Formats: sequence, C-alpha cells, structure tokens
Amino acid sequence: MSFTHLHVSSAFSAHYGVSWPDELAEAAAAYGADALACTDRDGLYGTVKHLRACLAAGLDPIVGVDLAVRDGQGHDAGRAVVLAHGGNQGQGYHALCRLVSETHAGTRPAASGGAAGRGSGPRRNRGKDVRGPGISLDLLAAHAAGPEEAEGAAVLTVLLGPYSDVGRALRHRRYAEARRLAAHWRTVLPPGALVVEVVTHLSPPGEDLSTAHAVRMLRLARDLGLPAVLTNAVRYCHEDGAATADVLDSARALTALARLPDLQPNGQGWLKTADQMRRLAREISRTAGWGNRGAAALLATTETVADRCRMDPYRDMGYGRPVAPEASVIGISQEPAVELARRCEAGIDARLPGTTGRAGRQLRDRLEHELAIITRLGFASYFLTVAEVARMISDMGVRAAARGSGASSLVNYLLCISHVNPLDHGLIFERFLSRDRSTLPDIDIDVESARRHDVYRRIFERFGAQRVTLMSMQNGYRARGAVRDAGLALGLEEEDISAIAKQLWRFSASRFREALAEKPELRGVSGLVEQDRQLDLLVDLTERLDRLPRHISMHPCGVILGDRTLLDRTPVQPSGLGLPMSQFDKHDMDPMGMLKLDVLGVRMQSSMAYALDEIARIHRDKASVTAAGNHPADPAGSGPSYIGADGRIDLDAVPLDDEATFELIRSTHTLGCFQIESPGQRELVGKMAPRTFNDLIIDISLFRPGPMKSDMVRPFLEHRHGWAPESYPHPDLEPVLGETHGVTVFHEQVLRTFDVFTGCGLAKADELRRLLGNEEAEPRVEEYFRTCAADRGYPAGTIDKVWDTLKAFGSFGFCKAHGAAFAVPTYQSAWLKTHHPEAFLAGLWEHDPGMYPRRLLIAEARRMGIPILPLDINRSKDTYRVERLPATVTEPEKLGIRLSLAGIYGLSAAELKRIVAGQPYDSLADLRARAKVSRPTMKRLAQLGAFDELGRREPAALAGRADLVHHLDFLDGTTRAVPPRCRPIQGQLALPLGDLELRNLTPVFPEPSLAEKVRTELDLLAVDASAHLMDSYAPLLRTLGTTAAKDLLGLRNGTEVLVAGIRVATQTPPMRGGRRVVFISIDDGTGCVDCTFFHEAQEQAGPLLFGTRLLLIRGTTRRTGPRGISLQALQAWDLADTGSLPGGGATAGAAGARVAGPEQVGAG
Amino acid sequence: MAGALGVFTEPVEVACSPAGEPVRLVWGNRTWRIVAEPVRWYQRRSWWAEEQRAEPGRGAGLVDHEIWRVQVRLEGHRQIRTLDLSRQGNPGRWRLIKIHDAVRSMSA
Repeated sequence: MSFTHLHVSSAFSAHYGVSWPDELAEAAAAYGADALACTDRDGLYGTVKHLRACLAAGLDPIVGVDLAVRDGQGHDAGRAVVLAHGGNQGQGYHALCRLVSETHAGTRPAASGGAAGRGSGPRRNRGKDVRGPGISLDLLAAHAAGPEEAEGAAVLTVLLGPYSDVGRALRHRRYAEARRLAAHWRTVLPPGALVVEVVTHLSPPGEDLSTAHAVRMLRLARDLGLPAVLTNAVRYCHEDGAATADVLDSARALTALARLPDLQPNGQGWLKTADQMRRLAREISRTAGWGNRGAAALLATTETVADRCRMDPYRDMGYGRPVAPEASVIGISQEPAVELARRCEAGIDARLPGTTGRAGRQLRDRLEHELAIITRLGFASYFLTVAEVARMISDMGVRAAARGSGASSLVNYLLCISHVNPLDHGLIFERFLSRDRSTLPDIDIDVESARRHDVYRRIFERFGAQRVTLMSMQNGYRARGAVRDAGLALGLEEEDISAIAKQLWRFSASRFREALAEKPELRGVSGLVEQDRQLDLLVDLTERLDRLPRHISMHPCGVILGDRTLLDRTPVQPSGLGLPMSQFDKHDMDPMGMLKLDVLGVRMQSSMAYALDEIARIHRDKASVTAAGNHPADPAGSGPSYIGADGRIDLDAVPLDDEATFELIRSTHTLGCFQIESPGQRELVGKMAPRTFNDLIIDISLFRPGPMKSDMVRPFLEHRHGWAPESYPHPDLEPVLGETHGVTVFHEQVLRTFDVFTGCGLAKADELRRLLGNEEAEPRVEEYFRTCAADRGYPAGTIDKVWDTLKAFGSFGFCKAHGAAFAVPTYQSAWLKTHHPEAFLAGLWEHDPGMYPRRLLIAEARRMGIPILPLDINRSKDTYRVERLPATVTEPEKLGIRLSLAGIYGLSAAELKRIVAGQPYDSLADLRARAKVSRPTMKRLAQLGAFDELGRREPAALAGRADLVHHLDFLDGTTRAVPPRCRPIQGQLALPLGDLELRNLTPVFPEPSLAEKVRTELDLLAVDASAHLMDSYAPLLRTLGTTAAKDLLGLRNGTEVLVAGIRVATQTPPMRGGRRVVFISIDDGTGCVDCTFFHEAQEQAGPLLFGTRLLLIRGTTRRTGPRGISLQALQAWDLADTGSLPGGGATAGAAGARVAGPEQVGAG
Repeated sequence: MAGALGVFTEPVEVACSPAGEPVRLVWGNRTWRIVAEPVRWYQRRSWWAEEQRAEPGRGAGLVDHEIWRVQVRLEGHRQIRTLDLSRQGNPGRWRLIKIHDAVRSMSA
C-alpha cells in the first residue's frame, strides 16, 4: 500500500506554497503514489493545473482547500483543510466551489489588472492586513452536508489539524480546551465529515509540529472516537524548497526573516515518500505507546479518506466538456444546429443579398462546410452565444468587431460577429476551427474602451449572474518584485533594495545572476554583489522567487459564460470592478470546458464612435452628411445607403473600396489612423501605395518584426512595382502566392502550400503548420512533406526550395485573418479622416488612442486647415466638439474643433461638471456663484483666454487678458466666494447687469503675444492650440535655412537639408546584424520628418539622441516611394541651445528659446 | 534555539542500525553504547545569517539540521550520559554538539 498526501499547498497558494502542481504530481508518482491532493490556501487557484498534472502522471486527483475558519462569534478558529468527496457526480466538487466562493463573499477585492507587478496594491493587502477570507463553522457545516440528494451524507471532509484551534490548544497542552473545541466541531459538522489530521515535522520537542504534538492530536482522536489521518502539511516538493518557503513567509508578513516570530519550525514540510511517511507513522504511534498496530491504523484511515476523495475529473468536475448557456437563455427553442443554420441563412439575405452563380455556389459550399464542422463538434450553441453577445453589444450602441482568427469564419460574418467576408480574402476556416481540434475556438471582440465595463455589466444582466463571471489572471514574481521581497527577507535597507530594483528591467528573476554578468546597465550592481555577502544571498533568493504567483487579478478582457451550473464549477471572488471573478485563469478554461470571450477595450473604437456621434449631431440629416463628407449621391441626389436619415453613418456598412480613402493612405498623411500612423508604417504605406483593402491586409501583415527583420518586404515591393520579375518555385503555387507576388506572408498560404504539395487537406495542413519551429516535431513534418511531395511528382529541387520557405516561415508568419480583422478599423479610421476629418480628429483628441501626444494631432488639424477653436467658458464643454463656423466675406462656412475644458491642469472633475451644467454664464461673478470655481482655476481659465469672449461682449471693457489675470491674481481678500445667504436659489435669474467686474478693469498690461499664449497653453493644457510651437522659431529657422517637412517631397533623392522640429516619436526597433538604428520623428507644424540615425549619426548626436525635445537635424533625403520621403540623419543639435547651433543661429535664436524651452514641450 | 552549535563541536564516529538509528559511537578514543531509544528532531537554522549562499537546488540542510539526543554508557561503566549529536548528510558526518550532564566542559 502506498501513501496518499491529503494536505499539499502548490505554488498557487500565493506567498505560501513553493512547488508547481506538475512537480508535485511527478514526485508523488515517482515514489509510487496513485493519488495526490492539492489543497491551496483560500482558493482552488491551482486545482485545474493539479488535475492536468495528475492526469499526465497517472494519479487520481484529490481536490480541496485550506481555509481560515471562524466560530459562531466570529473568532478565529484556526485553519482547516476541506476535501471534496468524489464519485458522486460532482456533489462534492460543487459544494467545494460554493464553499470557497462563500468564503470570499464580502472580502476586499484583489488588486485590479492595471497595477499588476508594481507591487503597491497587493502589498497593502498582505501582512498586517485586516482579516483575509474566512468561513464560519456553521456555513462550512452547511456546505459539507451537501445537497438534499446526498441525503445527509457528507460531501466534504474537514481535516482538523495542527493549525486549527484544537491543534493550537494541544500545542500548549491545553487538553480540556482542545476536547471542548473538538467536540464543538464534531457537533456542528455532519456525521462523518470531521477527521483529525496528525502531522509531525520532527521539530524539537515542545515546538509546533513536533512528534509530541502529533501524539496529542492522535490521542484526542481516539478519545473522541474520531478518525485520524497522517499528512505532512506539504509546502514544497523537496527539502530544497524550505528556504523559499521561509522567504515567502517573510514576504507575506512584510517582515525580515530575523524578526519573523512564526517561522516554520524547520524545513520538513516536503512531499515525503511513502516509506518516509510510514516511518513517521511508526514513530508517532510508538511514542504514543501503541506500537506498529497504531501506525497501521493511522495509515489505513488515511487511505480510506483518500479513497472517498478521489475525483473523477470528467464525471465529477466536468473536465474537458464545453458548456454553453442553456438554449432558452440565448432565446432559441429548437436544436442549436438547426437554429444556427437558420440564422446563417438570414445573414446571407442581410449581408450578401443576390449572390448567385459561381460566387453563390462558393458561398453555399463554404457555409455547408463550416456548419458541418461546427455541428460535428457540438459547438453550435457556442456560436449562438457569441452572436447573442455581439448583438447585445451592438444594441447597446457600442461599436464592436471580432479580432483574430475568428475573421476566418463565414458563420461569424453572417452572424455579424465579424465584419470581414472570408470569401473575399481567401481566409481559411480551418485556421480557426477544424474537426481535429476539439477545444473551443477563441473569438475576441474589440469594443469601445470607454464602454467596456458597461458591456461587462450588461453581459451579467443579460445572462444572469449565475452564468457569468470574469476571468482572472495570475500575477507572478518578476525580477523587480522578487528582488524587493528577497531584500526585505534579508533585512536590507529599503534604499539599497530600491537602488537595485530600479536597475532591473523585465528579465526573469531566475536569470538574475546571468544578467548581472551580461548587461552593462547592471554593472554597478554586479560589483556590489562581489563585495557583499548579503547581496550574494539576495541574488539567490531572487532566483528562488522567480515566477511564483503573488496574487490574482481581473484579466483585462476575459469573460466566462456558462449555464446555471457555472458557479458549481468555478469558485469566484470579488474583483476590483465589483463583479465576481473566477479563481481560474485562461489556462484553465479549455480543460474545464469553460466558454471564454475576450472583450477587449480599444480606444480607436471609442474615437470612431465619438466621431460618428459628432457627425450626426452637427449635420442632422442624410443630405447634409452626404454633402459635408463628399459622399457619392445617386442621380436623384440621395446619398449612400450607409447614411441614415438622421445623419448617422453605419460605419460597418461602408464599402471597403473608397478611392479617396486610399488616396489619403497613399499620401502617408495617416497620423491618427489605426495601425498605420507610426513612422515605420508611414514609410511602408508610402512605398507600397495600397490600392485595395487586400493591400491594406498585406501591409499590416508585413509590418511585423519577423517580416521586417527577415527582409521579406524588399522583394515583395520589388515584385509589386514590377522592378523585378516575380518568381514561383512551381507554377502550382502561383494561385497560392499570387496576391503577395510570390512571397509567402500568410499562414493561409502555408496551409495551401502544404495542401498543394502533399494533398493533406487544410485541417491537417494547419496541424502541420503548428509544428513548424518545434524542434522535436519538425523533422517528422519535413519527412512527411518530402515523401508526399515526391509521390505527387514534384522535382527534388522544388521540394527543397519550398520546404526551406515553409521552415523559415515558422518564425514569422502572420494569420491573414488577423490582418483582415485589423485592417477593418484601419480602413474605417482612414475613411473618417478622409471624409469627416473634423469629427475624426475630435474623436482622437477625446480618446487619445494612438502612439502620439495629443499636441501632434492638434498640429495635424492645423496642417489640414481645420480651425482649432480656443477655450471659451460658454462654448467649451467637457469634450472636444465640432463647431460650425459661419461663412464670412472671404471664407465659406467651415467646421472647427472647440477645445475641451477637460484638459485644463488642476481642474477637478467636480468643478468641470458644475461649469458645464451651469453654462452659459454672463459674468465672472455668475461663474463664481453658480459653478463655485476655485480661485486657481479662475486664474487658469483667464490665462487660457476662456473669458476673452466674455470681455468682448462687454463694449465698455477695455482691459485685456493680461489685466484680468493680474486682477484675479491680486483679488485675494476682496472678493471671496459668495456667502450662502446671497447665493441665488435655483431657478433665479441673475440680473442682466453685464459683467461689472470686467467693465471696471483698468487696462494696464499689453495683450500677451502669440508666443506667450502658446507657452501658457503648453503649461496648462499640454497642447499648443493658438499656434504651432515652432512658429515662434520661424525667424531662427529662416536664418538657419531649414526646409519645411511639406517641402521635402519636392526635393531630389540625396539632397542635403536642415530640418527642425519637436520630437514626437523615438523608436529603436531590433535590427538584423545587431547594430542599433534609432528612428526619430520630429514635427515642424507642416508635417512630420522621419529621421533615421545609423551608428555614425548616433555617435555624432550623443546625448541629444534621447534627451532633447527640440531638434535641428542635418541629413540627406531618402525617397521611400512615390509619396514617401525620409531623412538619413548626419548630425543633430539642440534647437534650444542656441549657442551650439551651426552658422548664425545664436543671434536670431534668443526669441524662440525664451518662448518655449524643452521643459514645456515635455508636458505633451 | 540553535543550541550550542559552533561553540562545542567535535567530530564523532557513529555506527547506525539498518534503519539509520545510532547504536554506538566512538568519542575520545572510547566506544560508547547507546542504551535507550534515541530521540531525533530537526533543528532550524538562521541560514540567512549563517550562510554565504542559498542558491536554488542546493538541497537539504540549509534550513535545518538533524539532531539526535542519545543516552550513552561506556562498556563496563554504570554512569549514563546524555549527548546531542548532529548529522549532516545521510549517511553523513556526525558531530557532538552538546553534553547535557557533563561534569567537565569540552574546552577544558
């Protein structure tokens, strides 16, 4: 007979357990065990990993939890291990899940996803914290009794061990108290549920977990007639883990090891072998005076309890069986497969009406093919569920789009889950789902970032709280956190630890020592380690903590959907959002058959939604939108069908072939457009000159580290522009590789290449593709490929060549469906920028979706001739709004964008709300009285010119902005806030006296200059709105003889020029050959100049390379395509350091430098 | 808590039973027989203060060490003495770390 460990904490007991479930299972199997428990602290965090590990090691899993228990008065009753009974169709496991959820009900939520790894959130929740999760003994008893069907038989076993109140009493030889407490446990719990847990860690006589302690527990069990089991209260797999457990104890208590009062007594809490455990049993029994028979009884009872807790992963826990919400919940009454087919038919009518002939046959074939696979896998209700979520989101008026391989499915397109027709782009269903893959496919839905939480809440409402929970994620130790906690354990000074922690950046803690030797930035630390023994230990402990879980938090996008039994299958605990989150993470979803939806927040979707709202608000009807956007109208003068009568544009219905949009993309003026605004992408679209939506897909797929590094782009472009003849390894591959001119870019092309050469079918082809790059499996794939291809008569040379391509592809291929899904918002954003730039830019300013500071997008509006309307206390709202500017004598009616009050430095959310609610105001006094604006805010509003318009309305007022600011500055003491009795009651109108305050102001100070205004805007709004920051440098730049960004395109390739501007982006992409290249983009108000700094130029620029905001750069032009030009930098100067500039800069520079030094620009 | 380790220690030779329990030891060139069942425990160490390194994979003996308390008698003598022995490794090196009812101190 072997021995079964019933009390084992895995590493998923955060700050407690040391070993991973698979280590533990392998060790148990190695000593001959046939079952193993996992009893993590406070939750089932490691349960599913334990299940998988046990299945892999051939063990029966036992699942349980180690919980803090409270007695009837809420007093601490110590900890107990609770094990689920198995072999009862899940009654035990369900009770365990509900028990764990109940334990967490009402506890403080774990840290939310955002702060993961920073340590501040979870740190506060540890150690001296108020009480953590705990369960009352009564509730524990209620759950242990199980459901009515269990007919009074317990479904949980409770182990009363050395850490329980009973165990603690016996540790101090308080026998009477121990008996009384134990009797209470026995009375409250259902019959048969209570078992005494005997543990010896062979600690010194008189200490916790000594053999004498174990003997007292065993005697108590006999006295009370309770069964007793032997465990080793395991925290680590091997003796080696004991030191790690010490460090975790220290981290949990936030106390140095030397000062920690309750260290484990010694290092014996490891997974001992059956022989060792038998010896312990004999030692305890002998000490108790019962000899070997007592030991045999203890071991036999242990196995009896283990046997009733053996889980059937499939029948008890629903392992591997996908569960979707009930048909009735998703609103269907018939067989899901039938319903799915019906909805796809409806989708054809709606999305692809009138598809006939060859296209119609293709459509039918594809639909039939997909439905057959979906039905065969039993996933119809899954698709219907996702469709329901998608419909629900769009009913909420929230923009949504599927991302990822989901775009490969026609069914997804017909159900309006995705917005790409896979037939139009050669997307292969098998890349998404095939009959050989029995796991649920991933469908990710992008929604407006600003509405993501609303969407979550709505999903909970729609499906019911019993069917939905958020997914969690495990946050493990990384280098910085590990070094901090290791330093804490050793009692190092806080500053010393901080100094070291700051040096560490995103490499795994287990490679600390290696990194010390290699990384130049760690040279200082590595010197310290050599000198100081403690630092040497610090490195060792940091390595020990590496990757160990610290806490769980809400996953940034995962939502789990199930039927009404979901909460029987996963325990939940509060999340930072106030909604429950599962204790399971993404790796647990497939094994537990949980249906997970990724609902991601995407800022660009919010920006576009905002733009669409603004278009409808400002234009109001179809005709004016059509006119304003220059959209095609039919001969009757009616605009396109994607514009509603109310002026609302259905962006997802806009055809993907608008020539003006592609013209904008080719112009490389793509700032603000999704995915194609970076300097590198602007260069690529300039070179590639996309003409169709498919070109956009290719563009996005090429712009990845892999293709860029492996030089796929150059041959592609040469073939595309006809500079070099296309070549195909074999004519059979022409249809496969034609769209990319013979270069393999997409996963889909790899699948088809496999299929053409081996005839394996696309499902198998996807399996083969997944094995590429896998060292073990690839030789088998190669052999298969070569054999089949030779059998089909392909010549050896061709096979070699094609195999080389496939093999190389393993590292960098891209799924075309991903590219297609990305290309939709790319196209849509470019379309909006083309046709409704004011609304589009307002959306960008509002939601800030891209990589650039807002001020660059404001400069973009200026470049496009869109008026940027200043702050105005009566016109500015809490958002950036499009405003109509009436026609003047010289100019037709125009649209401009009014700055938002929201961006003002120091303005509180409450003030902002009051100001907007109270608009309009007829005087400063009115504003003070009704919006209760603070004095600093009044002054800032004045500085930013928000009262200029108010002043202009006052014909008698002669004073200007500067006078008002001065006045507000010195107002202190004369005009305080209006006393409460004088405040207007609601509904009372202020007397129309006009603004006496403004009228009575004496004009003294001159109006601030434009440059001064710009400086104020940068200080208080972090944008330059009145003029471009560079405008004030105009005299200096004339002296220097710089070239404006917009004029570069007219120059010949290789012309040497000087350019100047503000840095807007710096990138150092990885490069082939290892030599770093730095890309710096500067903005001069007429556009962006993208400059490449190669090694020599980097040496020249020195510290200016990364530190300087305002740059003067000398370089030579480099044509990148018909509309693209960039600069190869030769030398750079700090424009603000006028003394250093070449030529006559020194004299003319003074004016500019005073206006805006680099520190103000930095605010953006 | 750490006892007298490091103050009075001297190596001793110990013979063990097949189960790994000490039965006899040689101390001061004389052979002592173990006369009662020995008591064994694992004593914690302040390893963070005592050790230079604590690298992962170091194995047993960092956090605690094994102590045996034995009662011994010299062949032909009646006096029984109680000794604490520490074992490092298994089978391993033994050291005498404490003499309980010593009439003379080790260092004398």
